[in-house]
Amino acid sequence: MSEPAPSKGNLGLGVLWRIAWRDVTRNKRRSILSVTAVALGLTLLIVLNGLIGGVVADMVENAVRLQTGHLQWRNENYDEDALSLRPSELVDDLESRLARARATDGVRAATPVLWMRGLLSTADESLDLRLMGIEPGSQLHTHVRDGIVAGSLLSADDRDGILLGERLAKSLDVVAGDKVGVAVVSAEGTLDEGAFTVRGLFNTGIPGYDQGTAFFALDKAQALAQNRGRASAIMMLLDEPEAADEIAAALAEPGLETLTWTELNVTTVEYMTLARRFYWILDAIVMLVVAVVIANTLLMAVFERIREMGILASLGMRRGQIRTLFLLEALVLGLIGSALGLVFGLAGVTWLARNGIDFGEDAVASVGDAYAMGSVMYARFEPGLILGLTLWTLAVILLVALYPARFASRLEPVEALRKG
Amino acid sequence: MDAVRLDNVSKIYQVGDHDLRALDGVSLSVAEGEFTTIVGPSGSGKTTMLQMIGCLDRPDQGSVHIRGRDVTALGADARADIRRDEIGFIFQFFALVPVLDVYENVELPLLLAGVPDAERKERVDALIEAVGLADRRKHRPDQLSGGEQQRVAVARALAPRPVLVLADEPTANLDTANGEKIMEIMLRLNQETGTAFVFATHDPRVVAFARRVVEMRDGKVVGEHAGAGATVGGAAAPVAAG
Repeated sequence: MSEPAPSKGNLGLGVLWRIAWRDVTRNKRRSILSVTAVALGLTLLIVLNGLIGGVVADMVENAVRLQTGHLQWRNENYDEDALSLRPSELVDDLESRLARARATDGVRAATPVLWMRGLLSTADESLDLRLMGIEPGSQLHTHVRDGIVAGSLLSADDRDGILLGERLAKSLDVVAGDKVGVAVVSAEGTLDEGAFTVRGLFNTGIPGYDQGTAFFALDKAQALAQNRGRASAIMMLLDEPEAADEIAAALAEPGLETLTWTELNVTTVEYMTLARRFYWILDAIVMLVVAVVIANTLLMAVFERIREMGILASLGMRRGQIRTLFLLEALVLGLIGSALGLVFGLAGVTWLARNGIDFGEDAVASVGDAYAMGSVMYARFEPGLILGLTLWTLAVILLVALYPARFASRLEPVEALRKG
Repeated sequence: MDAVRLDNVSKIYQVGDHDLRALDGVSLSVAEGEFTTIVGPSGSGKTTMLQMIGCLDRPDQGSVHIRGRDVTALGADARADIRRDEIGFIFQFFALVPVLDVYENVELPLLLAGVPDAERKERVDALIEAVGLADRRKHRPDQLSGGEQQRVAVARALAPRPVLVLADEPTANLDTANGEKIMEIMLRLNQETGTAFVFATHDPRVVAFARRVVEMRDGKVVGEHAGAGATVGGAAAPVAAG
């Protein structure tokens, strides 16, 4: 009656999958617990990292967009901290240099800018701030054009118009159309004054910036500072920010310094690096918590089922098969949990990328204009990072499952049965 | 041929500073198709003996042969394969996989043995029919009575068509009626399939079913005699196993 013993062929993975799947779907309470732990952990990781990535990228992007551009030509003697107006420290020969910059491959736009420190005064108040003489039509000032919330933009030949940040206007209690006085110390050391009409107010979304910046036309700025034909810098926008070093090398010119956006935003970039490092620690803690929860759930599942393992062993399941069975169960739980975590995480990141978290202008304004931080923090969708976190979560699950799976497979069947 | 043969088998457990000889130089042969019980008081070594026969544990001395093959020194995997192919187990506590229904529990050893789908279904259906649970096939263990659970265990033990089924106190957790029913089913299947049954018990009513009774005490076989089953169920001479 008894048939010849089947060959000792290994049990197909297919059968183990079936058994694992049955175990997972039938132990609803345990499975829901494990899946929830994985899903929540991954969601948390994805959202947290999306938000951090968003804030970091936004800060660098804002700094580039509002303050520095991708490349700048400056006089090699220029003293940035003093916002120097000495002719020997400025860029001259603007026409030919602009033409050269604009003709260079990879440079999308180039425009001169003249910075000066000045005193802005109304009847009641005066404020020390940074004034920028710009070509209002340049692509580098899109953010100002797009941010006009009252009045209108300057025209290039506007001789007495000025644009103020909305927050600045509010603190000075002026509106579009009002008159303000501007005083600057010129290159000759004389105090030059002028009366301007507030043409428009802008809101770039960066409170620190809107609080301390005013624009007027470059021509007028040069006249006021007695620096005709000169600029503090020529700012450039590139097609590919990554190409900055390469293009900077191509633009090298005697007497001028060519600075890239990483060099121009050293503090921001350094701060970002530091912040990222700090967040890695935070990440690691979250990951650790997630790993512990997963490990705990899996261990619970194993210890609950020691007798069941004895039964499987008595039915002739090999050690390796029992181990594989447990790993497969962990994999099933991990895959379902990760899939859910991925969906929730993506939903969270998408929502935060669109709506952001509003920290309030006043809170963010206190950071000042050293960091171009917007009042609303948006998450960023980084597919590589999200994929990495998902794979990492799966890897952790399998890793922590390895211990209980090994434990399960090492028990002698007799012991396992007795422990029931 | 002998289904199983133990030669001078000893099993020693370390209990504190003492060696406990759970089995002490036991020799025993069980022929194919036998219906044999091992009796003796608690701690006499019945369970340990079944574990040795069933390749659930390894002896410290002596040798174990299953169908003439020496399995004493086999590794964990090889012993698992022997259990899968040659031996069925019935435990006192039923030992069904709780998340699987009746059909799936009986099917499990056949999945492990790689029996093809059609044949597997046929064999599982036949066994469930044979133990009288055809209307319970979709029930989970916790939806069954103790007697029903033990009948599932019997069906599962026989599913791989083993040469030998080992049952450790199979009726200890059942009432008299259910206990007798299990014994009747085991006896009938023994006669129909020719599978040898070895069961440990100290219930005299269960002993009455056996055709051969092996007595144990203090880890030794101390006697052996023909059981009531040999005459009562006399019509059922052991079927020659093929």
